[in-house]
Amino acid sequence: MIKNFAVFLLLLFVAAIFSALLVSYEPDTWLNLTALYYAERTAVDLGSANIVTAIVVTYRGLDTLGEVTVLFLSASIVGLVLARGKKQEHQQRNLAPAGELLVTGSRLLTPLIMLLGVYVFVNGHLTPGGGFQGGAIIASGVLLLLLTDPLKHFSHRLISALESIAGIFYVAIGVAGLVFAGGFLDNRILPIGELGALFSAGAIPLIYSLIGLKVGAEFSSILADLSATEEL
Amino acid sequence: MVNALYIIAAAMAAAFFLGLIKEDKRGLAYTVTLLALAFMTWVSAGWLWAFAVDGVLTVEIFTAGTEPPFAINLRMGLAEAALTLLVNLTGLLSAIYLKDTLLELGRRAMAVLLIATMALCGIILTRDAFNLFVFFELTVIATGGLILFSDANDDGRALSAGFKYLIVSQVISVFLLLGVLFAYHVTGTLNIDGMNGTQWALLNGGAIAFFMMFIAVVAELKPFPANGWALDIYESAHPAFSAIFSAASSAATVFALDKLLLIGGADWLPVATGVGILTFVASNLFALPQTNDRRLLGYSSIAQIGLVLTVLGQRDILGESTEFIAFGLLVSHSVAKAGLFWLSGLVAGRGLSDWSVIAKRPLLVFAFVTFICMLSGLPPFPGFYAKWDLVRLLASEGRLALLALILIGALIEAAYLFRWFGYIIKREAPAEAVVCVAHKVLPVFVAVFAGWALGFVWGELSGRANLLLAIPLLFALSFLLLDWLPAWVKNSIAIVGMSTFFYLTYPGYDPLQLIFAIIILVGGAITLLASYSAHGRRVGFYPSAMLMYAGLAMLIHATDTFGFFAAWEFLTIGSYFLILRGKESEPHALSYIIFSLGGAFMILAGFAIAADGSYHYLIESLRQLEQPVAPWVFAMLAIGFMTKTAAIGVHIWLPGAHAEAETDVSPMVSGILLKAGLYGMMVLLLTMGKQQLYGVELTHVLLWIAAITAFLGNLMAIFQEDAKRLLAYSSIGQMGYALFGLALMNHLGWLMALMFVINHYIYKSMLFLAVGGVAKRTGTRDMYKMGGLITLMPFSFVAVLIGIIAVSGVPPLSGFGGRWIFYNAILDSDYRLPMVVIFLAGPIAFLYLFRLIYAIFLGQLKDEFRQIKEAPFWIVLPQMIYVVLLLIFAVFPGIALRRVDEYLTRFFPEGGLGWATNQITSNYGYWNPVAIMITIGVIFCTLFAWLLFVNRKAQKVKQFNIVFSAERPFRPETTHFAWNFFAPYRKALGFMVQPFVTRFWGGLTELLHSTADFSRKLYNGNGQTYAFHFLAFVVVVFFMRLGV
Amino acid sequence: MAYLVMATGFILILIGFYGALTNRNLLRMIVAFTIANTGVHLVIVAIGYMHGRTAPIIDSAVAASDAVLRIIDPVPQALVLTAIVIGVGVTALMLAYAYKLYESKRTLDIGKFTELKW
Repeated sequence: MIKNFAVFLLLLFVAAIFSALLVSYEPDTWLNLTALYYAERTAVDLGSANIVTAIVVTYRGLDTLGEVTVLFLSASIVGLVLARGKKQEHQQRNLAPAGELLVTGSRLLTPLIMLLGVYVFVNGHLTPGGGFQGGAIIASGVLLLLLTDPLKHFSHRLISALESIAGIFYVAIGVAGLVFAGGFLDNRILPIGELGALFSAGAIPLIYSLIGLKVGAEFSSILADLSATEEL
Repeated sequence: MVNALYIIAAAMAAAFFLGLIKEDKRGLAYTVTLLALAFMTWVSAGWLWAFAVDGVLTVEIFTAGTEPPFAINLRMGLAEAALTLLVNLTGLLSAIYLKDTLLELGRRAMAVLLIATMALCGIILTRDAFNLFVFFELTVIATGGLILFSDANDDGRALSAGFKYLIVSQVISVFLLLGVLFAYHVTGTLNIDGMNGTQWALLNGGAIAFFMMFIAVVAELKPFPANGWALDIYESAHPAFSAIFSAASSAATVFALDKLLLIGGADWLPVATGVGILTFVASNLFALPQTNDRRLLGYSSIAQIGLVLTVLGQRDILGESTEFIAFGLLVSHSVAKAGLFWLSGLVAGRGLSDWSVIAKRPLLVFAFVTFICMLSGLPPFPGFYAKWDLVRLLASEGRLALLALILIGALIEAAYLFRWFGYIIKREAPAEAVVCVAHKVLPVFVAVFAGWALGFVWGELSGRANLLLAIPLLFALSFLLLDWLPAWVKNSIAIVGMSTFFYLTYPGYDPLQLIFAIIILVGGAITLLASYSAHGRRVGFYPSAMLMYAGLAMLIHATDTFGFFAAWEFLTIGSYFLILRGKESEPHALSYIIFSLGGAFMILAGFAIAADGSYHYLIESLRQLEQPVAPWVFAMLAIGFMTKTAAIGVHIWLPGAHAEAETDVSPMVSGILLKAGLYGMMVLLLTMGKQQLYGVELTHVLLWIAAITAFLGNLMAIFQEDAKRLLAYSSIGQMGYALFGLALMNHLGWLMALMFVINHYIYKSMLFLAVGGVAKRTGTRDMYKMGGLITLMPFSFVAVLIGIIAVSGVPPLSGFGGRWIFYNAILDSDYRLPMVVIFLAGPIAFLYLFRLIYAIFLGQLKDEFRQIKEAPFWIVLPQMIYVVLLLIFAVFPGIALRRVDEYLTRFFPEGGLGWATNQITSNYGYWNPVAIMITIGVIFCTLFAWLLFVNRKAQKVKQFNIVFSAERPFRPETTHFAWNFFAPYRKALGFMVQPFVTRFWGGLTELLHSTADFSRKLYNGNGQTYAFHFLAFVVVVFFMRLGV
Repeated sequence: MAYLVMATGFILILIGFYGALTNRNLLRMIVAFTIANTGVHLVIVAIGYMHGRTAPIIDSAVAASDAVLRIIDPVPQALVLTAIVIGVGVTALMLAYAYKLYESKRTLDIGKFTELKW
């Protein structure tokens, strides 16, 4: 109890810091220097209708590459740790079969979910969404499958190969930007096309698709690995 | 040069590629990993070469074909190149070290290692605040992963450590993220250089936003007290991961903080300083009672980074030197710590004494020594140059409290590191052998090589004389390469080398230096003759001894304070290693090095204050110092030098150190090494002369210290049972005499001190050799166990006889000359009261000297010693040389003293001596050595003949004539006449020799230990508590810095 | 509006911290951190919000020419995406840790994992 009170007291002080921050915050009325540049130049320079996507994939592409790597790292670690843990016990779990509703529903929904995921990342440069969102949607399809049949065996090799190939291509495109265009991850290695078209914004859709695949694969592998711990 | 982005791209591509390799083709995966790391290392090295050698300018690297601040940019400059090289090399070497583990864990673990290395490079290279956050998070996850793998075949300890780390990281990342975003909001940019130009203080919430970023990055540096998690990691993780965590992560994070401080500006520097110095001192203190090796290294790592943080916080006064100092400390830390962590993987046990398994491997010992010397900031490593400049600049700006804290912390650190070294050399090795496999040993020796190479580089960068180019030092170091030769070959090389050096430098000395040069180089060579008695290879002896001699030689040659101090450190380290070689010397060697380093720090601080910021400061310039700093400088330097001469109060290291040393080492450390302190005092007094502090004449204080030292030193000597300890205490007393002469500050006082310098070298070396030889034959140093050895060891007897006559100052030997000058000198001065004390010391000396010859050589021979022979030839030979020298010096003191006398006239024109052909006159009388010798000779021969005559019919008494009336004493030695020889005196005077000083220092040590032991309970092992610590740390810093 | 969201975000962070520092169960701690992270994301989104403007996507609703006047700051939106994904990565890692810790000691009590200290 004393401990909880001490924590509470400490958090009051932290709250004081936060409130100081809150009080000093003034919403912008004009776009600041950086945002202004993006608002003015994104469409012209990169040809991407979705400015956020342009920032994520190109202007701050290095962040995104790092972000993808974070997921890759997590998936690798989780995979390694859980795979090592799994070796001991055999997959001898007797679970009640999933209900008819769930099985049928998932059979119906999974392809649609996958399709939606692909749609979301392919159109990342045009509409809200992108590789991460799309990848997460794909993974949710996988989650549905896992819920239906917890013992379902996913091909780890396939997932892993997909993940790796997508990653290598991502890096390769980045390097291509360095060699053929203005810098690492420059999307203008491909023609930027017409604003608003599916095939536009240079390499952005390509990169976002790779990210979508990669993220989908990584989330799926994490989910599959974590589901294997269910017996605990 | 290859674009630095390829470092990042290559690591990622390789990591992704590893996913394509089949799980069972681990060899291939490992090769890919090594190739990628090697490529990254190569890129960094290429840039470093380009910046350092070709003078290329810093390169900005844009991404996305857009200029910053609108896209992320990286920067590659000299600092970035050096740091990425450090990181990549650590990663590469750790990967090599981890071969077995990685092959067992498979490709995913290799990918994690690659990404960890890459992320650290990213932290270093990026110029974007949010990108920095991303790389930090990558580092966190990769570190978390590496720790998790550490636990592969462990007991779950690493797991809990990793989880604690993640808990704290989550809290940290909240602050970092909020800080970056609010900083973006107020400045309109994410670019670090863009933020740099903004007036933070004027912006809404800007200061708070910066605070949040700042505190988050500081937290990654494991500041006290928010660092419990880091310690647990250090303790439990695989040593190769800890090497990365300690060497590479810390380096990268420090650099990130440096970038941030650029934004924050001068307002935030004191915060960095405060956090840094608190961490430095507290962590070093907590390390003291630590027994787990890796946790100790963890504390030390944290402390070192705290020091670097302190340096960054002092940028306002360090200016352009900041990088030189901070990098000097950082690379010293990184290289040494990585090396030590790698080394810890070769040792099976986790206790500090378990490391004694490496004692049998000279190369590993050498590696260990290299690392702890780097960490302690000893020359010739970068930390030494850095420490020197840091102290110099801090002193010039009057930041003395900070300076004192830094030195105290450094002293504590040196204490536990050298204590550890003592364990390694002296403790019983556990049964397990060292696991020496090539891929684990290689990284250690790359670190050793890097350490020395960096020492050279820093020497070149320093703009001072590169210590690694000094001839005496190179000569000493060359013995490291020659250590496979038999001892007698090395001994010959050493003797020839020292003599040649003296021959070559001979013309350059003034008379004062000449006396010391002769004692050190020629005298050292004579002492080394005794070392021919050793057999085998004697690994480690010659590098240590020659290091000491090199330091001594460099000390005399030094003209500026830097050279002087470096030489001082060299002779200290060298003699420490020598002393540690003795059988039971572990605690004594430790107290020696602690007192010596403490004294050295006083000297360092004194020089720094005197220099007042000037880059090259000649020792001569001390002359121009004025009030109010002059007396303080004087006092500090004097205390520093007096730790070496073992003045009362700081003498407790001497008896053990000298007594436990090997037979041929005792004369070196007593006869020669002690002179370094006297030389220092002479230089000090010649340049600074009399100083007054609050109206107190400091030389007067010295006089008192000297008199008490002489008195108590002698008094303690008479109560010793151990012959070598007796001689050691006698040295304390003798040094008191010499110091007294110097402190008189008149012509005769100085002449007498110099006479003491020469005499003390000769007779103390001789006595130590003689007693050492006896101890070698009898197997004991306790005098009551000896007795009656006169007929069996006649040469040793002669040496001791001549020696004690000389020491006691009775005619006809040179000791008398010393006394004669001494009494003249006293009559010249006005200080009567200390004079009385020092007069009293004289007769006391007779007591112990008498005991020395009586208990050892006279009386009855014991049964067990009937068969023993004279000491080995090579131990007797130098003694006989000394006998001859003493006799010559007794008859013709003028050969040395006359020139010195003339020389001293320059400084003390009054009161010189008159030098007729064989008669020396002073204001109070005259002294004719030849006449005295003849007179005494005649008297002696007459008495001796008469004695022989009256004793011609004396009856021989057999041993054991006495019975105990059937009573068997509990301790047989209590009935021996030579045991507790001066018991009556002890009853009367014993209260004066109570070990007050020992108790004082012991109590201080105890206090430090118990404080540390109590305070470190703060780290209770609970991850939540650690998170709590961090939040409390944030709150405290916030309210201290920004107020309410 | 922005203030409200931001204040909510801060409160969520504090709730998360409180939960993480007082719950001894590892899984609860992880959930608490997820709550704190959500709070951070809310704050980030609130920072970039500008009253009366719309999403930074150039389409039929927002012409490229007057985007400057019509859209909100796109940068925090991009950053929050990265932050979310990183948060997921860390959470996954913590879950893996929780699993391994449970496996090693058959308990999820953080107070039971204190053999390393001092």
